[in-house]
Amino acid sequence: MKAFLLEDIDQLREHLASQRTLFTPQCTGGANELNWLPLTSETRSTATERPILPTYPAKQFFFPEREILFQFDGTNFKETLPTPTPQILFGVRSCDLCAIAYQDQFFQQDPYYQARRKATLLVGIDCHIPCEGGFCPTVDAGPFVRDGMADLACHQHNGHWLLMAHTPEGEALLQGMNLEAAKPHHITQRKNQQQQVANQFPSAAHIETGIQRINQAQVPAETWQAMGLQCLTCSGCTNLCPTCSCFTSHDRPTSDGYERERSWDSCLYDAFQREASGHNPSASAGQRVERFWFHKFSNEYKKAFGRYGCTGCGRCEKTCPGVIGVHSVMKRISAAL
Amino acid sequence: MDTALHNISKITNTICPYCGVGCGIGLRVEQDKITGVEPLANHPISQGKLCTKGWSTAYAVDPIDRIKTPLIKENGEFRPASWDEAYQVITEAFSAAITEKGADALGIIACARATNEDCYAAQKFARAALGTNNVDHCARICHSPSVAGLRQTLGSGAMTNSIDDIEKADLIVIFGCDPTENHTVLGGRIIRAKMAGAKLLVVDPRLTRLARMADLHLQLQLGTNIALINGLLHIIFANGWEATEFLNSRCENEEALRAKVKEYPPERVAAITGVPEEKLIAAAKMYTEAENALLTYGMGITQYTTGTNNVISISNLALVAGQIGREGTGINPLRGQNNVQGACDMGALPNVFPGYQDVTAPAHREKFAATWQQELPENKGLTSLGMTKGALTGDVRCMLIMGEDPIVTDPDQNHVQRALEALDLLVVVELVMTETAAMADIILPAAAFSEKEGTFTNCERRVQLIQPAIPAPGEAKPDWQILGELASRMGYEGMDWESAEAIFNEIASLSPLYQGMSYPKLAANYGLQWPCNEQAPNGTQLLHSKTFSRGKGRLIPVSHADPAEMPDEEYPLFFTTTRLHFHYGCGSMTRKSPLLERETPNGVLFINPEDAQPLKIKPQTRVRISSRRGEVETRAVVTDEVPPGTVAMPYHFREAPSNQVTNNAQDPITKMPELKACAVRVTNLEQETE
Repeated sequence: MKAFLLEDIDQLREHLASQRTLFTPQCTGGANELNWLPLTSETRSTATERPILPTYPAKQFFFPEREILFQFDGTNFKETLPTPTPQILFGVRSCDLCAIAYQDQFFQQDPYYQARRKATLLVGIDCHIPCEGGFCPTVDAGPFVRDGMADLACHQHNGHWLLMAHTPEGEALLQGMNLEAAKPHHITQRKNQQQQVANQFPSAAHIETGIQRINQAQVPAETWQAMGLQCLTCSGCTNLCPTCSCFTSHDRPTSDGYERERSWDSCLYDAFQREASGHNPSASAGQRVERFWFHKFSNEYKKAFGRYGCTGCGRCEKTCPGVIGVHSVMKRISAAL
Repeated sequence: MDTALHNISKITNTICPYCGVGCGIGLRVEQDKITGVEPLANHPISQGKLCTKGWSTAYAVDPIDRIKTPLIKENGEFRPASWDEAYQVITEAFSAAITEKGADALGIIACARATNEDCYAAQKFARAALGTNNVDHCARICHSPSVAGLRQTLGSGAMTNSIDDIEKADLIVIFGCDPTENHTVLGGRIIRAKMAGAKLLVVDPRLTRLARMADLHLQLQLGTNIALINGLLHIIFANGWEATEFLNSRCENEEALRAKVKEYPPERVAAITGVPEEKLIAAAKMYTEAENALLTYGMGITQYTTGTNNVISISNLALVAGQIGREGTGINPLRGQNNVQGACDMGALPNVFPGYQDVTAPAHREKFAATWQQELPENKGLTSLGMTKGALTGDVRCMLIMGEDPIVTDPDQNHVQRALEALDLLVVVELVMTETAAMADIILPAAAFSEKEGTFTNCERRVQLIQPAIPAPGEAKPDWQILGELASRMGYEGMDWESAEAIFNEIASLSPLYQGMSYPKLAANYGLQWPCNEQAPNGTQLLHSKTFSRGKGRLIPVSHADPAEMPDEEYPLFFTTTRLHFHYGCGSMTRKSPLLERETPNGVLFINPEDAQPLKIKPQTRVRISSRRGEVETRAVVTDEVPPGTVAMPYHFREAPSNQVTNNAQDPITKMPELKACAVRVTNLEQETE
C-alpha cells in the first residue's frame, strides 16, 4: 500500500474525472439528499460535516435494477453482455464498500456483474462522525475504509487528506499528480483515530442483543407475526439494502422476438416463494420478515461470506413506512419475552 | 432497454402518479429512459418512503406498449393517422351533433390522474369551445358525496386537516377505508403514530390490517354507517359526552339532530349493525374522551345510495364531539387518485366552475364568460353516469374520455359497454390500449406524468409541481395541448396556451383557492395547501379553525336506509368491492410491473370460511359470481378478512371484472353508484352445486 498527502480532495476528483467517467454522490433536492450521479460542470463539492449516505448504495452500478440478459429473434439467441466504459465511483463509504465486496462474492460467476465490476475503480472515503442511523462498527463494516475494499481510500485530518493506494490500478490513477509521500505517523494517526470515531456511535446494544437472539432462535413467533403485520410490502428495504441481491426474470416482446429481462426482486413479497400450485413455504408476512433478518444477521451467512449480510448503513430504517427497519426490529426483538 | 453500463444521467424530482398521498419521488433517467425511482428524504409527506406502486413507477410508464400516434378505427382495426386527420374527423362529428341536437349531445370525461392544467382545459373545452356543462370525471364514483355532503355541513368538501396531523392525534378513527393498503405511506404514518402511543378505532365490515392492530374494531354490517353513527350520537347525548361549548358557539340545528338520534337506541343499533352494545358505548366514549381525535374515511362511506347522507353523518359525529378545527383532529376524506382533488378544484364537474363556483349562478357565469370571452351554458350538465344513460337514449351522441377506463371501473359493465357502442363517436385520450380505448373510434396519444410539466393536488389540498424527466414517446402530447388544438379547430381560440404555467396562472386568477399560487412559489415550498391567497399567503394547513367555510357547522339529521339491493333467497350473499395494495384502478399501469403482476392472481373472490364450506369452496377453487346485472368467473381466496355473509372482489382485473355484477343504483344527490353493496350468488364451478 502506498500512501500520499493531498491538500484538496476536489483536486483528486478532477484529476480522476479527466481519466474515466466519474460518478459521485451529489445533491439533487434537499440538504440531506445525495444521489449517485455523473460528475458534471455543475457538480459542487458536497463535503459535509456529518457524512450523509447517498439514497442508493453502489450496487446498481454492477447489479442494475433492470437489465437484458439475452435476446431471441425467432431463430437465434443473442448475447447482451454489457460493454462498459471504464468508470470510477468516487466517495464510497465503508459500509457500501463492504457490501460491494460481499456482492463480489455472491456474483462471482455472473458475467454481467463481473463485466461492470471489472470496468470500475473504487475511491473510498472514511467517516469521521457517525452518520445518522448508522451502526457500522457493530457489524465490522466501518467507519473507516477497510484495506482491500477500494482502489484508493481518503482520510481527512487537520484540513488535509491522507490518500492510500491499495491496488496498482488505484496507484496508476494518481500519475501526474506529483503527490508528497505520507509519513509513518500519518498512517498511525489514522489507525488510532478509528476506535475514537467508533466510540462516538450511539449505543448499539439492541443490535448486538438482537443478533444473539436471532442466532439462538429466541425470538417468539408472535413477535415476528406482529412485525409481519406492519410489513406493507413496499420493497423499499430490499431495493436500498446494499447487500440484497435477489432477482427475478421475465420475457418482454421485441419487434422481432423476445428479450429476457432480469430485475430486482424482494423476498418480502408473498409471490417470491409461492409455487405454481399455490403452496407457499413462507405464507405469512411474519415468516418473510423473519427470513429477511436471518439473512442479514445469521452466523451461517457470516461463515459463507466472511461477514454479516448487514453493513450497518441504516437505509432500511429510513425508508420503511411500516416502522420495521433495522433499529425498530432489533429493539423489538431484544425486548420480546 | 439498453444493456450498457449503468449510465445514469439525471434524477428528476417529481410527484408520484398513483394515489392521493402525493409522495415525492425521484425518477432516475438513463439514456432517455426511466429505469427506476429514488425516494425523497426531504419531502414533507413521504419522508424517504414509497409504497410498492411508487417503487414500480418505471414499469408503469415503460414505452413498451405506449400509443405513439393518433389511431383511427377502420373496419374494426386501428390504423395510425395524422393529428390533422384525427382532428378533422372529431370536429366534423362534434359539429354535426351540435347542429342536430345541441351542445348537450356531447360529453367530456376529464381525468383525475391528469394534471390540474389538463383538467382545467377539459372543462374549458366543454364549456367555452363546445357550449356544454357535460363534463365529469371519476370523482363521481368516488368522493362526490364528500363534496356534496361536507359542502352542506361545513361549506367545504376537502380534508379539513393535514397529513402531519396524524402524529398530533391521540386517537385515529379509520372509517370505511384501509389506508395501509391504499394510501400506504400515509398508512405508515398511522402505524408510526400507533407505535408512539396513539389509539386506533377502526370501523369496517372487514378485518383489515388496521382492524387487527386496532384498540377497538366495530365490524359493522355492510351499509349500516348511518345507523351506527346515529347510535353513537344517541349514546353521546344520553351521557352528556358532547362538546357543549363547541356546539353552542360553532354549530347549528342541534335540536333536530338530537330528536333524530333518539330513534337509535343501542339495542336497535346493535340489531341493525351487528355491533354489540358494549362496543358502541366504548367507541362513543373513546371518540369524545380523546383530546385530539383524527377521523379518516373512504369508499366505505361514499360508495352507497346513501353516500351523501353517510358523509353528513360523519360530519355530525365530528361536530358533536368537537373533534374538528384543531390540530390532530378533523374530518379527512382520503381522496384516492393523485389528482382527484385537483380535478374537482378545476371544476371538471357538471355543476361548478373552477373553485366550486356554481354554473347556474349568473354572477359566476358572467365572471367566467368575461375571462373566457365566450357565452356559457346555463344549465347543470350530465354526470358521467348520466352521460352513459344518455348514450343509450340517444341524447348523448359523442364523448371524449381522457385517461379513464369506465368499461372496467364504472358499475354494471354490460350497461357501459352498450352505451359506448351506441355513440356516434367515441374519442379516447390515453397512454395505452385499455379496454375503453379498444372501444374508441379515435385514440389520441397522451403524455404521461413523467413527460410533462404541471401540478397535482393531493388529499391534503397540497398543490405540487411535477417535472418532465424524458420527452413523450412518438407524437404523444399533454392533454391540455390536445384540447387546445381541438378547441381552435372548433372555432374557439381561448385555449392556445404556450405552456402549462400559462394555464396555471389563468387558474390562479379565477379560483380564489389557488389565487396566491405560482410555479416559482410551488417549487420553493414542496407545494402549497389551498386556500392560498392574501389572507393565507403560505397556504392553509388547518381548515375551519375559527369559523367554518359556511359560518356555523350544520348538523343535519339523516336516517338509516338499506342498500338498494339486499341479499335475498335468489342472491343470498352481500357483495362488496375492495382495492389491493399491489394494483391501481384498472391496472393499466401497475400490471406492467412483473412483481406486481405476479403478486396477486388476475382475479380473486374473497370469501369467509363459513360461506365457503357449505359450497365446498377451497383456496383456488374456480367460482362464478352472479347478480341481476351479470356474472364473472374467478378463483376463491378463503379468508376471515371478510365477514360471513359478505364476499368481496377487487376491481383491478379486466379478465375478472367485478363490475359485471355491481349495481348502478345511485345516490339521488350525487348520482354516486352503490359500488359497495349488492346481492350475489356464488357457485362452485368445480362442483356446480349451489
